[in-house]
Amino acid sequence: MLQDRTKNTGGFSPAPDDGLIICRCEEITKGEIRRAIQDGLLTLTELRRFLRAGMGLCQGQTCGRLVKSILARELGVPPAALEPVVSRAPVRPVEMQVLARDQEIDHD
Amino acid sequence: MQRCDLIVIGAGPAGLSAAVEAARQGMRVTVYDENARPGGQLFKQIHKFFGSREHKAKIRGIRIGEELLQEASAAGVQVELDAVVTGIFADKEVTVRQGERMLRRKADTLIIATGASENMTSFENWTLPGVIGAGAAQTMMNLHGVRPGEKILMLGSGNVGLVVGFQLLQAGCQVVAVADALPGIGGYGVHAAKLARCGVPFYTAHTIVRAEGVERVTGAVIGAIDQNWHIVPDSEKHFDVDTICLAVGLSPMSRLCGLAGCVMEDNPQKAGLVPVVDALGETSVPGIFAAGDVSGIEEASSAMIEGRIAGLAAAHRMGFMASSALDARLAELTGALASLRAGMFAPGSKGKVFTHTAEGCALSASLLRRGFVADEEIDRYPGVTRARGVHPVLECTQNIPCNPCADACPRQCITVGADGGTITALPVFDAARGCTGCGLCVAACSGQAIFLVDEEAGEITLPYEFLPLPQKGEQGMALGRDGQPVCPAEVVAVRTSAAFDKTNLLTIRVPAEYAGRARFYRKER
Amino acid sequence: MTEHNADVVIIGGGIMGCAAAYYIAKRGASVLVLEKEDSIGSGGSSRNGGGVRQSGRDPRELPIAMHGIQHIWPTLAAELDVDVEYCQKGNLRLGKTAAQLKILESLTQKAVSCGLDVRMISGDEAREINPYLSREVMGASWCPTDGHANPLLATLGFYRKARQLGARFISGETVTAIEKIRGRACRVRGAQGVYAGGTIILAAGLGSRPLAWTVGLDVPLQPLLLETLVTEAVDTMFPQMLGTAAADFYGHQSVHHGSFVFGVTSGYEPYARPGLPRSSAGAAAAACRSILTYFPALEHIKIIRSWAGWIDDCADHVPVLSFTDEVPGLILACGFSGHGFGISPAVGRLLSEMALDGRPALDLSALRQSRFAAK
Repeated sequence: MLQDRTKNTGGFSPAPDDGLIICRCEEITKGEIRRAIQDGLLTLTELRRFLRAGMGLCQGQTCGRLVKSILARELGVPPAALEPVVSRAPVRPVEMQVLARDQEIDHD
Repeated sequence: MQRCDLIVIGAGPAGLSAAVEAARQGMRVTVYDENARPGGQLFKQIHKFFGSREHKAKIRGIRIGEELLQEASAAGVQVELDAVVTGIFADKEVTVRQGERMLRRKADTLIIATGASENMTSFENWTLPGVIGAGAAQTMMNLHGVRPGEKILMLGSGNVGLVVGFQLLQAGCQVVAVADALPGIGGYGVHAAKLARCGVPFYTAHTIVRAEGVERVTGAVIGAIDQNWHIVPDSEKHFDVDTICLAVGLSPMSRLCGLAGCVMEDNPQKAGLVPVVDALGETSVPGIFAAGDVSGIEEASSAMIEGRIAGLAAAHRMGFMASSALDARLAELTGALASLRAGMFAPGSKGKVFTHTAEGCALSASLLRRGFVADEEIDRYPGVTRARGVHPVLECTQNIPCNPCADACPRQCITVGADGGTITALPVFDAARGCTGCGLCVAACSGQAIFLVDEEAGEITLPYEFLPLPQKGEQGMALGRDGQPVCPAEVVAVRTSAAFDKTNLLTIRVPAEYAGRARFYRKER
Repeated sequence: MTEHNADVVIIGGGIMGCAAAYYIAKRGASVLVLEKEDSIGSGGSSRNGGGVRQSGRDPRELPIAMHGIQHIWPTLAAELDVDVEYCQKGNLRLGKTAAQLKILESLTQKAVSCGLDVRMISGDEAREINPYLSREVMGASWCPTDGHANPLLATLGFYRKARQLGARFISGETVTAIEKIRGRACRVRGAQGVYAGGTIILAAGLGSRPLAWTVGLDVPLQPLLLETLVTEAVDTMFPQMLGTAAADFYGHQSVHHGSFVFGVTSGYEPYARPGLPRSSAGAAAAACRSILTYFPALEHIKIIRSWAGWIDDCADHVPVLSFTDEVPGLILACGFSGHGFGISPAVGRLLSEMALDGRPALDLSALRQSRFAAK
């Protein structure tokens, strides 16, 4: 979707609930997310890259929807209109030593 | 590398149903599930399911799970537990974490049936211990036998909130209130009515303002919200609670679909990001199917049918089933699925505002706002009739796909959607056929909305699923639909029977003038 | 179609485009960046191991790397007002066999002759620098002025600051052609608009090649799949950038955050299937097996995410940073071949000089496009 990023989204104005933790894994607050959006980070992917919101152990399973609703509200668009983030493996965390063990002989 | 005909990811209702159908056609099927036991959410579902008899209505979820496992085992399905599928890669290769190693497996077809995860909502102190998902609360109670708390606020009045709220009462917890930000209760009215007649208050158009507590939850504050979702000044209400249960919706757990390269869509009607699928559940990647909540949040009954369809379609795709045989099965299954997707609560009806039932009865405003049909509203529904002697009063006031009551009556006194009508129609009682008062309909109603009433004798027989059971001869209080005391009552009969499947039938006697109002019983304090 | 104008039009919103936009905007010129994806930094900028290295580099690009590390990286976080997680605690390139040590020695000799402070150390010396190293490590090359940073934060940090300075960014716009008017490249045609600029910078990663064709130029680039892994955050273990002579992995632990980022090598990179980049089923596992032979202490740390992306591998594995005689007005900035991140701030500044002054402050003649004439 074409997006001219010059458009100002209004500037950051503090809100009473800015201190709310949204991403529990990475401890990112609502205020940090809102400020990043006002700084021009306009997609869920950019917020993930810039703040690591939704990039922790649960990979956004808990906060994905919350971050999305914050971004949608700041941009004034419906949440479903936002480009979704891309799924990545592993969908559950795996210890390195377990991941390393994928070549043992199969036994039926 | 090991390769089988079909790998199913998720051993819940959709996945097991898919595996059973595919294996019966001769496919070698392996099911992987990350949990220690199969069945997905089914083994937490101690309530009776809605739907039609052919598709397991009035059977408790836990029993459906047992039946599915037996079917899977008989069909030769290999179910691997504690087996986490961590990724799907090119050539339908899956990586599976089992124990301290990874398996790499391929299949010619994949069915993704990973279900859903619970949504969270953020508010002041939402990260305090004691704020839990309703599904998590259900797991604690029904799988582990642990009460999640003593005093509980339920946030969300969809079916999950209502069903879990009632189960919390059954487990002996106190549910101080059910709050929902929407102006109307989201789930089935009959589920809300069960809570309301136990005295649980509903606060619609209310949201949680904050959880209170330092180390853990010691209280909760809710407030009324206006149309702009702002808290109305001075509307805050405090509750002393130790647990706040969040039942604010489910999201499809569709990350594996994205990894598999399926075209995805963010579809609010399906409650989130889902793979685009055709009528057979096949995604944009040929040979990869999705079934159940992962492709759109619905009830378990729909998930099982979707699973069956996907399983058959996979079998057909790989030449295990002739087209004619597939078509024959599909005709029946898609019909059943369509009937489950009809009515006021259908996925396609999301966002629509109904004012009347399909029969033209005005919906109960009180039910929508407070969780119970007001006494002055109840007579407008076709199932609520007066007759001489004992007869059923069917307090079914919304078009829900469900007809076990009609099947249950040995004399066919009850009809749902007569003459080829839909199973979402409101039930109708035909007095001419002669009710014997057997009570099978009362026990069969998954919504516990049927009462046997004898107006002259002042006797009401009601479904009762609490322990300890009241004793015959016991004196207590009759409660109204709103959970408020109506009049003194005496227990005149307590019936249990295998045919009732653990729903006990309690008959109470009240002064005749209260026979239309008394709908629950509480032992006098 | 709407026509947009700027002093400089940059094709590609990766770290090169964002860094160039920042330095151009900082000097007061108008600049417009066109990115085809919805998000900034979606190519190689978010798919690399974050190395800010001089060691192991080709002598032709080494001066750029040294310039960046001496003059830009130390103050970049302050300049951008973003913690780019820069950590200058050295680079260990590890060897486990005599043959591998030979490779390291030859690389080291070349770098020393270019004036870089890098030397060979023994296995025990390496273990003194990094006590988590296994006994298998026989030796290493050690460059104390190397380091690492977070490419995602650096890319978006440049973007954010450039935007604050007035740079204009349009995402979701696919450029289809560069157009010449009266012999000079000064217009860019996109799917949804036309963009005119005094100078055009082509910094579109792998997409640069077909766009160069539209003005009759070729750059020998081919796609190479890079795969990256990230772990959960853990307590700080060691600050060095890591690489190996066997080239089986590279990576580091992010400062301030604690997650490890590893680049993965499966051995089949040039043969990855075309289309959307996809992680392979076995590469992460192979990387973990390798990593644990060097760092057994990491065995319980959890991998939480892996991702893959195409990079633009140039025929001789060094970038093209070049004006061309044939197409005045166009600057090529592509072919970074998987090691562009560390030099990106310096490249951004050089590009701003090329665009605004007509010549870069460093001699880039070795990186000209004309070097690809047939031998």
